[in-house]
Amino acid sequence: MAFLEVKNIKKKFGSNEVLKDISFSLEKGEVLAIIGSSGSGKTTLLRCLNFLEKADDGVISVDGNLLFDGSDRSTTSDKNIRRKRLHFGLVFQSFNLFPQYTALKNIMLAPEMLLKERAKKEKLSAHQKREEHEKIVAHAKELLDSVGLSAKEKSYPCELSGGQCQRVAIARALALSPDVLCFDEPTSALDPELTGEVLRVIRNLKSSDRTMIVVTHEMEFARNVADKVIFMSDGVIEEAGTPEEVFDNPKSERTREFLNRPGF
Amino acid sequence: MSITWPLFIQVTLRLLEGFETTCLIFALTLVLALPLGLVISFGSMSKFKPLAYITKVFVWIIRGVPLMLQIFVVFYVPRLIWDLPAFSRFNAVILAFVINYACYFSEIYRGGIESISKGQYEAGQVLGMTKTQIFFKVILMQVVKRIIPPMSNEIITLVKDTALARVIMVAEILKVAEEYAGYALIWPLFYTAVYYLAFVGILTLLFGFFERKLSYYKV
Repeated sequence: MAFLEVKNIKKKFGSNEVLKDISFSLEKGEVLAIIGSSGSGKTTLLRCLNFLEKADDGVISVDGNLLFDGSDRSTTSDKNIRRKRLHFGLVFQSFNLFPQYTALKNIMLAPEMLLKERAKKEKLSAHQKREEHEKIVAHAKELLDSVGLSAKEKSYPCELSGGQCQRVAIARALALSPDVLCFDEPTSALDPELTGEVLRVIRNLKSSDRTMIVVTHEMEFARNVADKVIFMSDGVIEEAGTPEEVFDNPKSERTREFLNRPGF
Repeated sequence: MSITWPLFIQVTLRLLEGFETTCLIFALTLVLALPLGLVISFGSMSKFKPLAYITKVFVWIIRGVPLMLQIFVVFYVPRLIWDLPAFSRFNAVILAFVINYACYFSEIYRGGIESISKGQYEAGQVLGMTKTQIFFKVILMQVVKRIIPPMSNEIITLVKDTALARVIMVAEILKVAEEYAGYALIWPLFYTAVYYLAFVGILTLLFGFFERKLSYYKV
């Protein structure tokens, strides 16, 4: 069984079928790029994986853990939804950093909340708590360094450029070490000159144990970084394969049309 | 009658006593209405529709009827209709003020809370935070920053609304000044403006201070 298994995901908003039977799988350490025109369901798919939307049907499992099965009521309730969400991380198109906190605090907030709960449950001593907290700080600083922003740890989001904000957001998403990190058009809100720095950071994240799904309009990036590419259209996977297969030898007429749009 | 120093000092001190009552109405209303307003705003934003409707109708009534009338209702209605023991004059004023201001505050809170983008909640959710954590650690501070200007407005209005307490004979500053007017001494009435202006001046400085305190980030 693959690391990430997604089977027969369906999602409707009212009578509008946004996802019609989406299935794919991903091995650990692979990068999947999802391309397709606006309204094809790419974002909704990511939101279903992160449990921001509840799929109507289908199966999601990560590393052998069944997280969601539309036919099994015990997996579709909101119970344990927080635990399930921790398997996935999500980087938003509009960053969604917390404006009242510094870059470093943005990264530390969620781990701190989890530590607080753990400390209560396991009755950690003040000393243990302090030690754990120091680990969180150290890890957050490391992450900030890995996105090239050690110098900005005390800056507030309003003092950072769009590209820097998105890099902080990436570090924040990594803070809880999710199994699968998702990016929802991470560069669509950025100037072309800022796009590069963010894409470089994402490319550098690629490693043997980091599994990533990137919804993107950056075809060059998808071609160079992804191991797999999915082209979505009207809520279905129109074409899937390696970058070479999808970009150089598209089988579907729709994929060809999409890739041959003027401007590409 | 000419103004002599002894008279001036006597009036100043007498007005100060009335001003104490004014300040007490102000402070008690604020302390009680601020949290009650938050509860009411949660009611009007409730996903349980009947609760949301009832709350909205209640807010409509309270905001739609003069505060003066509400003071009369609280003071007279319980004993006239149900033969209940009456509130003391002061308690009736506080109750009417708290309910009235809580409703106004609730709408300011609601506006503030609903203006925070959905993305802020979702960012908290994907990071595994609970609803309570998201509200208190992420949303609340942003709401506070956004609502300081409208809240300042409302709180400054409250300072002057305290003068309505005199309709049921609570001796706040304006009531005291009116008593002098009954003896053909008019100037104390105008003199009260100094007290109000000083109070509002201090509040304005205070709100400015808070705004500057929170200006380190933008929402």
